[in-house]
Amino acid sequence: MPIIEEFKNTVPLMNSWIESWKNEGKKVLGYFCSYIPEEIFHAADLLPIRMRARECSDTPMGDAYMTPTTCSYTRCCLELANRKEYKFLDGIVSCNTCDQIRRLYDNIRYKAPFPYHYIMGVPGNVSDTTIDWFKHEIRKLIEHIENNFSVSITDGKLKNSITVYNRSRKLLRDLYNLRKQEKPPITGTNILNIITAGTSIPREQFNELLESQLSQISKENSSSEYRSRLMIIGSLLDEPEYIEIIENLGGLVVTDSLCLGTRYFWDLIDETTNPIDALAERYLTKVSCPRMTDGYNQREDFMMDMIKDFNVDGVILQRMKFCALWWPEIFMLRNKLKEAGIPSLELEREYILSGAGAMKTRVQTFMEILETR
Amino acid sequence: MDIEKFNEYKKLTRGNWGKDLSMLKMMTVGLLNQNKDEELTPIIEGLLNYLLAIPKARKEGKKFIMHPFNYGPEIFYAMDMVPLMQETYSVGLAPLGLNEPYLDLTNKIGYGDNPTVCNAQRPLIGSYIQGVAPIPDLLFFLSTPCNSLAMTYQVFEQLASIPTFKIDVPYWTYNKVGEFNDNKVIDYMVAQIKDLISWLEQKTDQKLNLEKFRKTMGKVNQARQYILEFNELLKTVPCPVNSQAAMGNFLSMVGYGGTDMAVNSTKYLRDTAANNVKEGISGVPDEKIRIAWPYTHIFFDGDLLTWIEETFQAVVIMDLLGFYQVLPHDVSTTEKCYESLAKGTLDFSMIGTCRGPIEYYIDFLLDYVKDYKIDCVIMPMQFACKHAYSMARVSSEAVREETDVPVYIFGCDPYDSREVTSESIRGGISDFITQVVL
Repeated sequence: MPIIEEFKNTVPLMNSWIESWKNEGKKVLGYFCSYIPEEIFHAADLLPIRMRARECSDTPMGDAYMTPTTCSYTRCCLELANRKEYKFLDGIVSCNTCDQIRRLYDNIRYKAPFPYHYIMGVPGNVSDTTIDWFKHEIRKLIEHIENNFSVSITDGKLKNSITVYNRSRKLLRDLYNLRKQEKPPITGTNILNIITAGTSIPREQFNELLESQLSQISKENSSSEYRSRLMIIGSLLDEPEYIEIIENLGGLVVTDSLCLGTRYFWDLIDETTNPIDALAERYLTKVSCPRMTDGYNQREDFMMDMIKDFNVDGVILQRMKFCALWWPEIFMLRNKLKEAGIPSLELEREYILSGAGAMKTRVQTFMEILETR
Repeated sequence: MDIEKFNEYKKLTRGNWGKDLSMLKMMTVGLLNQNKDEELTPIIEGLLNYLLAIPKARKEGKKFIMHPFNYGPEIFYAMDMVPLMQETYSVGLAPLGLNEPYLDLTNKIGYGDNPTVCNAQRPLIGSYIQGVAPIPDLLFFLSTPCNSLAMTYQVFEQLASIPTFKIDVPYWTYNKVGEFNDNKVIDYMVAQIKDLISWLEQKTDQKLNLEKFRKTMGKVNQARQYILEFNELLKTVPCPVNSQAAMGNFLSMVGYGGTDMAVNSTKYLRDTAANNVKEGISGVPDEKIRIAWPYTHIFFDGDLLTWIEETFQAVVIMDLLGFYQVLPHDVSTTEKCYESLAKGTLDFSMIGTCRGPIEYYIDFLLDYVKDYKIDCVIMPMQFACKHAYSMARVSSEAVREETDVPVYIFGCDPYDSREVTSESIRGGISDFITQVVL
């Protein structure tokens, strides 16, 4: 079986790796955002699973409590929590990443509780003062997990976990570097399959699979034809089928700024210093999402660097409906792209893929625009 | 208003304020004319002086700083700067229907829509594009109460290239027992406030005068004491003031907290309420219903609360902004003054109730409903206000379970009269009061 199929096997909420993990009597925690340091769970021998809700088809509970003008991701998560679809989880850890995620955590606690809940405060900007505060928040999370799961998270364990996670980051960067080639050996669809899988299987096994995948595709030349090289930017996207629609129309996604993409793994953690200091520094200063109130220039520079390094022809700016972070952000990025003469296409979407027909038409038109340049 | 005083103000409004302050001029002239034949209360006097201070600052070369509606400006006054609450515009223009053209323009250029990005800030982008947004020397904002606010301020910062400082407001509390308490929160806020002061010192090229700082904090404290007494007087049945009165406290503290104007305004409101209690005067004649309104006013419908008073003999005793909750603090030393600034930031209207877990809002609401003998709760939730709207249902269940008081939740946009019309809002309130409350 091609290794990519292994990654695709993680699509259901519950997969065979989680099942094996649970069979060993070990615990699984759901978490909501790339600002939450997974290394802490790993060091506690807990399996961190990024919360997804792709099995959700309708959201009556989510609409009633989160209201219809919050993003469909949060409504879907509340819905599945209420239907006990996450019953394999031993708890959840959230953070104040955005207003909707923050209130999702509240609504879950009141209406669909888990055996364990914790929320960490992540500062909204970067300074020596806020990094110090984030170290404090990390220590609190560690203490809470230690007390609730009767585990000990030592500096040694944390350092080991940082090394393991950095290994993933380096491998993913290697994988991305292959996409700089004229004929990239991997599609954007499969990249999203891989990264999403990474957030739902044990990390050591993920690294092994990733190494095998890299070794396999490094030997291959892509035979795939494409019309244009694209970068995709925007809010939470864990649905490879969304990218597949774009790629089926000839737009090969060669890089991104997504929270299940570069924003998740691009920056390494310093392995030579105190692990808590290193975690705080990395998670707060990593390529940011617009929740960080002082990160716009960094995000814009990152986008422009990516466009240059990956030889991007056009940019797809996607945002989930009712996202108060990404609409203003995309407004700014779009202006920057226009100024730089780089074509962009703005797409609004729901968490669960819908309106594929209209999307295809718009992407098709965008492809034609790119080809006539 | 005394004619000489009116003419004095009129004179101050004349001249060219600059294109970016043209709307501010229009609002100032409007406020003055609207009150020409009314008593010049310390509230109106304070507001006029507050608005007139901006063009004056320009003339005198003083730094003019813009900040959001959930931050008291005392540190800016202590540093001899002139502050302007950005939302003065969206709130001030709403009853005149003048937000709408800027919202339309904002839609046209692709900056959000009504249910996604809050219209308390969104007109700023449209008015900036038209060249009529005020361009301050400096900009300041906080990470809460919402992403929407932080994003629009960030975009404005970028578009207008304004030097900006941001404070991160933590999730945790400092004054409650339990899982949400963190005894390091005040230290964190003090550290950030000291960072802010260093930044302001650098931008204004002057050091904070500690003597002036302590005096300013003393004035804030005095005003907070008056408001505390005023809030206690609201517990009286019947309520001694009308539904609009408490907003005067909020405007004083967000506009000119730390000045004599705020001391005078809050004292005036406290004295009025105290006198009315003594005289047995009620804000609404023959008061029958006491309403808690734990969100903002519907700013585009300036007559709504009066209509509720006249139609149902009902008084809105609390709204989320007007019920200013920051308590007086010990400000006897400079360090205590920093702590007071920190606590004031954490507890400011809407920040205190909306920055962390839902319990901050629920506890506030339950205490209020019980202490103020509330008969019903009306929650007019703004569609774009994700953090508030998505806690309304759980909060309403808590109110019903613990107090048996009925709750009405409806969606609207307080800044855009077209989203849910005044007629529709009034119809819903009428149905609720007549069919559920009475």
